[in-house]
Amino acid sequence: MINFILRRLLYTIPIMLGISLIVFVLFHVAGGNPVYRMLGKNASPAEILRLTHQLGLDRPLWVQYLHYLADLLRFDFGRSWETRQRISEMIATGLFPSLCLAVPSFILTTLLAVAVAMVSALFKGKAVDKLLVVGSVLGMSISILALIIGAQYLLAYRMNLFPISGFEIGWRGLPYLALPVLLWIANQVGGDVRYYRSVLLEEIGREYVVTARAKGLSRGRAMRTHVLRNAMIPIVTRLVMEVPLLFTGSLLLENFFGIPGLGNMSINALNASDFPVIEAVTLFGSILYILANLVGDVLYAVFDPRVKLS
Amino acid sequence: MPYRLPHRFRPLAVLLATAFLACTPSRKNLGSTYRGVLISNIKNFDPALVQDQYSSMCQFQVYETLLEYKYLARPYDVQPCLASAAPAISDSGKVFVIRIKKGVEFADDACFPGGKGREVKAADFVYSIKRMCDVRTQTTGWWIFDGKVVGLDAFRKATESLPPLPEQYHPALYDGEVEGLRALDDTTVRLELTKPYPYFKYILAMPYAAVVPHEAVEYYREDFMNHPVGTGPFLLKEWRRGLRLVFERNPKYHHGFYPTEGMPEDSAEGLLADAGKPLPFLDRVELDIFEELQPMWLNFLRGNLDNSIIPKDNYAEAVTPDKSVRGDLAAKGIKLFRQKDLDLVYMCFNFEDPVLGKHKRLRQAMSLAFDADQAVELFYNGRGVRAHSPIPPGLFGYDPAYKNPHARYDPEAAKALLVQEGFPGGKGLPEFEYLTVAASNYRQMGEHFAQCMARIGVKIKVSTCTWPEYLSRLKQKKVQIIAGAWGADYPDPENFLQLLYGPNESPGENNANYKNAEYDSLYREMAIMQDGPERKAKIRRMQDILAEDCPMIPEIHRLRELLIYDWVGDHRGHAVLDAPIKYYRIDAALRRSRLEGRGK
Repeated sequence: MINFILRRLLYTIPIMLGISLIVFVLFHVAGGNPVYRMLGKNASPAEILRLTHQLGLDRPLWVQYLHYLADLLRFDFGRSWETRQRISEMIATGLFPSLCLAVPSFILTTLLAVAVAMVSALFKGKAVDKLLVVGSVLGMSISILALIIGAQYLLAYRMNLFPISGFEIGWRGLPYLALPVLLWIANQVGGDVRYYRSVLLEEIGREYVVTARAKGLSRGRAMRTHVLRNAMIPIVTRLVMEVPLLFTGSLLLENFFGIPGLGNMSINALNASDFPVIEAVTLFGSILYILANLVGDVLYAVFDPRVKLS
Repeated sequence: MPYRLPHRFRPLAVLLATAFLACTPSRKNLGSTYRGVLISNIKNFDPALVQDQYSSMCQFQVYETLLEYKYLARPYDVQPCLASAAPAISDSGKVFVIRIKKGVEFADDACFPGGKGREVKAADFVYSIKRMCDVRTQTTGWWIFDGKVVGLDAFRKATESLPPLPEQYHPALYDGEVEGLRALDDTTVRLELTKPYPYFKYILAMPYAAVVPHEAVEYYREDFMNHPVGTGPFLLKEWRRGLRLVFERNPKYHHGFYPTEGMPEDSAEGLLADAGKPLPFLDRVELDIFEELQPMWLNFLRGNLDNSIIPKDNYAEAVTPDKSVRGDLAAKGIKLFRQKDLDLVYMCFNFEDPVLGKHKRLRQAMSLAFDADQAVELFYNGRGVRAHSPIPPGLFGYDPAYKNPHARYDPEAAKALLVQEGFPGGKGLPEFEYLTVAASNYRQMGEHFAQCMARIGVKIKVSTCTWPEYLSRLKQKKVQIIAGAWGADYPDPENFLQLLYGPNESPGENNANYKNAEYDSLYREMAIMQDGPERKAKIRRMQDILAEDCPMIPEIHRLRELLIYDWVGDHRGHAVLDAPIKYYRIDAALRRSRLEGRGK
């Protein structure tokens, strides 16, 4: 397994180089010269030239790319054009609030979705199943923006069940997170239920389940001990692929509820065309995605002994 | 039969409910706390780098300048802040000798020996201005001193060869003499200007000219922008980026007093009741950041904020057609506050474009075809007055009777001008590009302009791009028609008329790249004149030249509207000061009674 992990990590090097090249070219071509905004109004041509030179922006693009790579190796993403903060510090600061929202939401969504999918699969074709499927489709169909605007107005403002917005660290932060977590679940659970339901139904139809039932196992026991375990690979794949998104935050939820996480930071950077920050978040997300893929592959072997990592 | 929770789950349910209730935020005793709004993140706290309204607003809570704007008196003028008296101006307005207040100390901070802030001296002002002018700080504010102070340009030039910051400050250069910027002794600063700029007094009140202690700059180095150490009425206690800033009263602040002079209506409104009392009245200031307007609006209605702007989408639910606050809001103690901003929204034509730059009557026709009144209704909820020149109401040189013959909506006259210019019905004209930043409201404004032009046969393509790309194209003169807005840096007409001064062409602020020898000559003359009939006559001539040449379509001067609860006292709008919070007073008992029973 160690060899497998090492080899996969080596494979990530050309992938990361490719991503960094695409991101670099994209943002350096579309981004324009940051000097104009950094110097503000009334900057003279001489000042513009001087700062352009000082930042190395008058060098050939490939030289700039090499410098950029060297900085990345030191985990130095540069500074924000907008606030002049170190981007690595911005990411470090924003990570915790994002995880405060994302981790409980993710865990609760997963538990709820798997449970509902199991019920739905168990009662396939019955009224309960139909009701759950319709509910899931409804949940998937409502945009998160509409959910946020409606729930913030109705549940937080009109009914006064939750704080309207805000964020606190520690236990005092629980009420502030309650509504965004509920909305995350409401937005995500429908899609997850439908996916897990189809995975479970595929497994339920297999011969070994019939055999197990023929040997006297109840439907529920067969589901828990056999079906669920065999359905873990597609479930784990989906879960692992969602993990990077937990770190990069939820743009709209964080923005509307004033959670100072990476999603909030990203949307501010998008609004302000703060390209170095967008660039760093894109790269950060890519790295997490690659790592998540690797973790997913390793987990396959854990859940299914037939899978050999070689 | 009602569902009952199984026994084994009951303790858990009770525990969860108790925990949630225990954590539910209660409205703490707010006391004398002002809770304001920022609708954008602030950039940082380095006075040399401030370039936006919100950063400047926050910096002014902590930092101070030699002079400051009078809070109540109009027209806008300055008064001593850290200066002990008004500057002694001699040599026909070129020499400023300013004595500073004794006994004012920087706030206590780890950057000082023993953590104890020391007394502010004249040398601190010299240092702060020099630092601001140091090329290596990458300041956004050099233009306020550029070419204006004897010897300062040479100082700036000398800093170009120094190693990059924050490695070394080169005390030799900083301690060296700059002829026009000297500390005569511990309490006297002498500034010598190259020309008698009448607006220089305002420059000394700008955040760029704030006094900073060299100890803090050297101690915090690159991180200085996050650690403000000033002499102002408040100290920065908490800064959670993207969420909130909290300031608390500076215990060492004893040198500010509520104004004793104001306008006649200020007395009637009770704004002079606190005259002469020591500032600030507040113990704490909380500024919440809202990038989205809905949570800001709902928090304001709930009473979690003391003021709010009015989101465009909520305008009708807050303001009646006769422009007063709606009854349900008034019953909650909400007041509508309105004031004229010192600003200009405009569109300009790039004179380096071979068609737009050459055909004066084409530009005049486009100006006549633009329905500015409709734009004010569509995009500003009627909050604005039609502009006829760059100078907004409230500034010297503004004449309400002055009418720009091309700043009116008259499509027929526009069509006639096109015929005279040889483009009947727009025939023979290429399609022009209107460039704006990619945002829905900017695009809508562009579409409105295009639709107005279509009525006279002029084709407009609305293009959008990112802000950096927009700036790049603008500053490289690769545009045809753009929209812009300008807010006063200081209350002098020069600040608006420089927008079309030839030598300020892109990358300067003359984005029209307009050059007119007579206009430029008049600009140079009026820029160093004291207000008076002669200056007024020159400004009028400049306005006439602009009306005739039409390098820009002056669109509107905006009105600022704000909703504010009646428990905030001593509140008066100021078009230059972004947040004169130190003058505000909170009636805590009134707030408590109004908020009772209104929820969290």
